[in-house]
Parts: sequence; C-alpha cells; structure tokens
Amino acid sequence: MGYINTIIILGGINIIAALGVAILTGYTGLFTIGHAGFMALGGYMSAIFVKELGVPFPIALLLGGTFAGLCSFIIGYPAFRSELRGDYFAVATLGFSEATRLLLNNTRSMGESINTAESGIAMLFKPIGPLLVKLGGVFGYMSLPSPTNVFVVVVAVILALFFAHMFVTSQYGKNCIAISQDEVAAQMMGVNLLKTKMIALFVSAFYAGVAGGLMAFYFAYLTPSFFTITKSSDLLAAVVFGGIQSLIGPVITGFILVVFPELLRSFAEWRLIIYGFLFVIVMIFRPQGLLGYVEMNFYFVRIWWNKIFRRGQTSQEG
Amino acid sequence: MSSEILNVKNLTVDFGGVRAVNNVSIQLEPGEFVGLIGPNGAGKTTIFNLITNAIKPTAGEINFKGKNILGKSPDRICQLGISRTFQNIRLFPQMTAYENVELGFHSAPQYSLAEAFIRTPRARRIEVDTRKKAMELLEMVNLKEHSHARASSLPYGLQRRLEMARAMATNPELLLLDEPAAGMNDDECNDLIKLIREIHTTMHYTMIMIEHHMNVVMDLCRDSRIYVLNLGSMLAVGTPTEIQSNPDVIRAYLGEPKND
Repeated sequence: MGYINTIIILGGINIIAALGVAILTGYTGLFTIGHAGFMALGGYMSAIFVKELGVPFPIALLLGGTFAGLCSFIIGYPAFRSELRGDYFAVATLGFSEATRLLLNNTRSMGESINTAESGIAMLFKPIGPLLVKLGGVFGYMSLPSPTNVFVVVVAVILALFFAHMFVTSQYGKNCIAISQDEVAAQMMGVNLLKTKMIALFVSAFYAGVAGGLMAFYFAYLTPSFFTITKSSDLLAAVVFGGIQSLIGPVITGFILVVFPELLRSFAEWRLIIYGFLFVIVMIFRPQGLLGYVEMNFYFVRIWWNKIFRRGQTSQEG
Repeated sequence: MSSEILNVKNLTVDFGGVRAVNNVSIQLEPGEFVGLIGPNGAGKTTIFNLITNAIKPTAGEINFKGKNILGKSPDRICQLGISRTFQNIRLFPQMTAYENVELGFHSAPQYSLAEAFIRTPRARRIEVDTRKKAMELLEMVNLKEHSHARASSLPYGLQRRLEMARAMATNPELLLLDEPAAGMNDDECNDLIKLIREIHTTMHYTMIMIEHHMNVVMDLCRDSRIYVLNLGSMLAVGTPTEIQSNPDVIRAYLGEPKND
C-alpha cells in the first residue's frame, strides 16, 4: 500500500503543478520552463510558515502559494512590459527559476556570513541570518512536519481542478485564451495584455507554490535539488503532451509522467531522452497535444452510458 | 467648442525614410458615415492603425470626444469607444463564433478575480446577460445558426460579418471598417451594404469605412462624404459625385492621360 500511496501523492502533486502550467502555457500561450522555481519558493515559504511560525498546515500552503504568485511579478512585470513572448519568455522563466535555485543553494553560507558580519549592508539582513542558516543551502531544510497524505493530496487535486475550471471558464480565462490565439486582435478588442498575463502568471505560480508546499510536507525536508530544470521540463511536457486549452489532458499526463518513471525505474535516467523523442512525435502528429482543445466535461460519460444503455435495449429487442 | 467626435489633425508618420501618411486631417461629427478610399499603398490602413495606436505617429494629434488619445494603449482606446475590423481577418480561430463576439463584451472583465473563482450569483447573472447580448449581435449579422461553429471553419464572407459583430460587442462609438467587402461578389456586396446601413441606423455609430469596391462606397456614403488618399496625402474630400468627377482622383487611379 505504501508504494501505491507514494505514487498517488507524487502524481497528485505533479497534477497540481501541471494545472498551473496548463493555465499559463495551455490557455494563455506563454511557454514556461521555470515553474520549478515557483514550486521552490512556495515550498520553502510554506515550510517556514509551519516550522518557524507555527501556522496551520492548510493556511501555510495557501500563504506559500500566494508568496510564489507575488514573486512571479518579479519576472512577469518586466517580461510582459517589454513584450517578451514565445521562446524569449520561456528563457526568462528559466533564468528566474535557476536564480532561485542557486540562491537557495547558498542560503546557509549567506546566513553564516550575515551572522558573523560586523558592519555593512549585511547588517540589514541580520534578523533573517539564523533563518537562512536553518534553510540549510544544499544540505536541505530538515525535519519538517509531514502532514501530507493521500487524503490531503486527493482533496487538494479536486479543489485545484475545480478552481482551475472556474478560472478558465471565467471572463478572465476567456481573455487569456483570446491572447493565446491572437494577441494583436485581443488587444485591439480591449484586452489589457499586461494585466491579463500577470493574472494568469499569478494563478499559475500559485498552483506551483501549493504543489511545492505539499511536496515539502510529504518528504519532510526540502533541498534545492528537487527544483531543477528537469522538474520544470517535466511539467511543460505534461501540458504539451496533455494538450493545450485542456485541463483534463495535463491532469492525465501529469499523473502518467510520474507513474511511468516509477514503473520503469531502471530507465529513469533515460526519460529525458524519451521525452525529447515523444515531444518531436507529438509536435509532428498532434501539435495541439493529445487532448488539445478538449474541454473538461463529462459528456463522454453520458455518451458511453447511452451507448451501453442503447445496446442493451437493442439486444433486448433482438 | 467643437462637437466633433473624432478630430485628426496634421497626422504624419514615417517608416524609415518613407512618409506613409503625410499631414492628414479628418474631422467627424457624431453619427457620420464616411468613406476612405485610395489606390493600394495610399496609407488607408495605416490611418486606422494610427487611430487605434497600433502604430505611433511621427507628428500630429488625434482627439476623440475632445480628449487627446495619442499614446494611449490600444486596449485603452478600445475601452474609450473606438473599435475596428481588420483587412486580413483576425478572428480568434479556435473559438466559436459566439465566443468571439462574447469576448468583445468582457475584454474588460465585469467581475473581480475572486468572483471568477467562486462564480457568485452576481457573476453568473452578468454572464447570462452577456450571453443574451452576444446572441442578439449574432442575430443582427445573421450568424445565429453558426454560433457554435469554430470561427476558422466559417466561410470567408461570414468571417467578415463575425468580425463586425465582435467589433460591435465592445460597445464602440466610432467603428472603423477595413475593407469589409474585400473578396466579395456583387450579390454579397449588396447584402453587406444592407447590413452596414442597418448597423449604422440602428446603433448610431460614427463609422469610417475603407473600401475598394466603388459601388459599395458610393452607395453607403451617398449622403455623406468620401476622403481620398494618395501616397499618404489627402487628395480630395467630397460627396461621391464630386469625387467621381474630380480630375485629381481620376489621375491617381488611372494615371496621366497620354498627350502626344
């Protein structure tokens, strides 16, 4: 049971982060290879809230997500102001997430030098010196509580899916879709590009931050090496495979992309090569992704039901 | 105190060394319908791009309802009440016809982000209301039966009409139509004339139309005036009959008569 629990928990966490990427990449058309950075920010922040300040776990998750969302403005505002898009925006997000990771790598040494500093600009940071040492740099932020379990993750996934659905079907979400389809036309029809993109990035980073928090409270420790570019590209892969303008697609692939490497453990290091290969195949044969433009609804259940039901009827008649 | 809704004064724009628009002035009274014609490359679409600030002018002034709108972002200008269609259709291809029109209504969302997440009764009411208004516009341009078709799957003529409906959804006071009849045959042109006239009389928009089909322009602007551009400069202004007999205009379109 423990092994299956692990897969469900890690899959669920990946689903939540992939939903964030789906909102930004799938619906707004902004490619990101930096969501691991937002996961790190959200994860560390919610861990600090729980461990150092004693904030209850669910509230800390939301605060961590909000913190990641606010941090996204650091990269979002200048990037959207200067109208970075496509690959250029993706590179900017990559830079942001790598910078975040490297900062976290060095928290311990930064903290130590602040603690021993006698003068200069380091004095300003004196109050957070001990905290930085506790974050531990490459050695990791250890002995966190671990309230994340299957129940928590399943509830979180359901809530995340519900709110993501609410967002993308709202007027805000539809403006995001319009931007992804024709930015110039959207702006000419009155969509405020900067504001709409910032909202999409905020929501997206919030999701990643919550996923990071859940991860912290599952492993009971955090190290910056959780949040490398590999993690970001896993999330992007989930959305590209799963399909753009679809929530259910990234949910399915987000889960599969966690389960698969687990099942094929001996191949785990090969998965990036396999992803690359699959990326090319998907781009050639189904550029919109496997479930691209498939809205999340349950009509297909009804259709199946009808089919089975009708078949039953005809067999009775015949 | 002037009553003009749009006052373009001495507008000039250079693209590198090319003066694309040279010292153009246009004044419009509320409710007017004027035509803007000229040979290819005369700068007609550039003027629309300048009014909606897709391009920044080198010199000149643009006043809308007495306020200077120069340097305001295109979305702000749209919210102030100027909407347009595009020469090369720019619909949202993967959205349905209905969603395209709906966007015009909610490009500035009518409820807050928090309301979007929990969809309060107020937000739902706004959405139902928007839906009704969007369907009314689709009915006006005779696209109601295509409301659930993807915009990219519609035939060309219907896409042009859908673009008009989308522009109308932003609730404009000034509507800029960029070659609405491009690529249409005579029958379709006649339908379009009827539709545009209906829009103009029922919605009371001020409208500028760029068009190459002379019968469309002459018919729609028969009680009004036509601006003629050539090589970026205003060549002539006048009623359709004046324009048709203006020697400068004839020369711009047909070239110099050969005298030998």
